[in-house]
Amino acid sequence: MDLEALWLTLRLAVGTTAILLLVALPLAWWIASGRGGGRALVQAVVALPLVLPPTVLGFYLLVALGPLSAPGRLLIRVLGHPLAFSFAGLLVGSVIYSLPFAVQPLVAGFSAVDGAYVEAAAGLGASPWRTFWSVVLPLTRGSLLTSAVLTFTHTVGEFGVVLMLGGNIPGATQTLSISLYDKVQEFNYAAANRTALVLVALSLAALLLIYSRRSGLRRGELV
Amino acid sequence: MSESAPHLSVRIQHHLGALELDVEFELTRPWTVLFGPSGSGKSTVLRTIAGFVRPDAGRIVSCFYGRSLAMTDTAKGIFVRPHERSVRVAGQGAALFPHMTVRENIAFGTRSQADGTTAAEIVEEATTRFQLSGLARKFPSMLSGGERQRVAIARAATAAVGLGSGSILLLDEPFTGQDVRLRDELIEELRGWLALVERPVLSVTHDVGEAFQLGTEVIKIAEGRIVQQGPVAEVLAGERERLLEQLNASKGSPA
Repeated sequence: MDLEALWLTLRLAVGTTAILLLVALPLAWWIASGRGGGRALVQAVVALPLVLPPTVLGFYLLVALGPLSAPGRLLIRVLGHPLAFSFAGLLVGSVIYSLPFAVQPLVAGFSAVDGAYVEAAAGLGASPWRTFWSVVLPLTRGSLLTSAVLTFTHTVGEFGVVLMLGGNIPGATQTLSISLYDKVQEFNYAAANRTALVLVALSLAALLLIYSRRSGLRRGELV
Repeated sequence: MSESAPHLSVRIQHHLGALELDVEFELTRPWTVLFGPSGSGKSTVLRTIAGFVRPDAGRIVSCFYGRSLAMTDTAKGIFVRPHERSVRVAGQGAALFPHMTVRENIAFGTRSQADGTTAAEIVEEATTRFQLSGLARKFPSMLSGGERQRVAIARAATAAVGLGSGSILLLDEPFTGQDVRLRDELIEELRGWLALVERPVLSVTHDVGEAFQLGTEVIKIAEGRIVQQGPVAEVLAGERERLLEQLNASKGSPA
C-alpha cells in the first residue's frame, strides 16, 4: 500500500474542498440571487470543467503556470519556483477542475430557499449578511454537505489534470490514481488492486455520508 | 405619541401588472387600518413602505419628535434598504424560520434596550401576551396555521419594540386564521402593548369586523386609489350596513 500517495491524495482533497467552499459559497449565492447576461456567462464558465477533457484543462494550466506565459513567469519570480509540478500547482488545478461540483449543489440549494424567509428576515431588521448566515445557510446544510463531499471525492478521483500539471513525483504530486496507473504499467496487479480498493472505499464512504443523512433529514429542512 | 403630528407620510405612484397605484396619506393615530378588497393595492403599499418594492415615483418619510427621515424618495434618488428602515414587518403568510423554535423565531429581530429592558424580557412579554408560552419550544412544523400566524405577529411586534422608539409596525392581514374570539383578544393585547411602548401600527385587512374591532382610523383603498380616510364608523358605514343586511337576510330565510 502506497501510504505516501494516500497521504498526498487526502491532503489535496481536504485542501481543495476547504478552498472551494470559501470560493463557492459567495459565488453560488450571487448566481442564485438573480438573473442576467453576466450570470449566464459566469455559470457557463463555472460548468466548463464538467464538459472539457481534463487533459485540456491540465494543458492550459501547465502553460499558464509555467515559464511560457507572463503570469507564470511572474509566479516563478515571486515564488522562486514554477507552480507546475508542485503540490501548490496541483491544488490550483484541482480547485478549478472541481469548481462545478462545489458550486452547482449550492446554487440548487440556495434557489430552493423560499424568498419569503429572506424577506421576513429583512423585515425584522436582519442585514443581508446575517440573513445569509442565520437563515439561508442553516436551511441549505444538506446542499453544503453534498457540495463538500462531491468536491472531496471528485478530487480524490481526478487523473488527467494531475498527470498533465503535476507530472508524477512521489511525495509531491503522485496521487493514488496516478500511483494506480503506475502499478498497472509495471504489471504489479496485486498492488494496483489494493490501491483501487482504497479509492473505492474512500468514495463509497463519502457518498454514504450524503445518502444516510438525506434519508434522515430533519423536518422543514431543504436539501 | 402625539396624535396630530404625522409619524409617517406616504406618497406612492407605482405600476404593477394591471394595478395603477397612486396613493398619498399620512399616519397620525397609534393604529391605522388600510382597508380594501384583494387586488386593491393595499399589500403593495405596505411592501413599498417596508422597502421590498421600489416605487416608480414617490416619497416615504418617517417622522419622530419633529425629526424627518426619508426612507424612499425617488426624486432625490433615496432608497434605504429594508433592514435599515425604522419599520418592522409581518408579511402575508407567517414565513416562520423552520429551523428555529417558536422562541428563537420571536427573539430573531429584537435586542436589549437603552432603558435597561433586556431582549429576553421583550420576548417573554410577547410570548405571554400572545398566549404562546406552551409552544415556545416547538418548531413551526408542529404548529397549526393560526398558531404560526400568531407567532409571526409576536415576532414582528417584538422586533418593533426591540428597534426602539420611532419604529413603526407594519402588519399584512395579521389575524388571518384566528377565530373571532381569539382575534379580539389578540387585538386587545397587541394594542395595549404597543400603545404602552408607543409604537404606531399600520395594518392591512379586507375584514370589516376586524376593522371595527380595532375601532380606529381607516384608510379605504380601491383599485389603487384612496377612497376615504377617517374614523372607522364613518369610512366603513356602508360596509357595515351591507354586512348587517346580509346577516338579517340569512336569519329571515332558513337555509
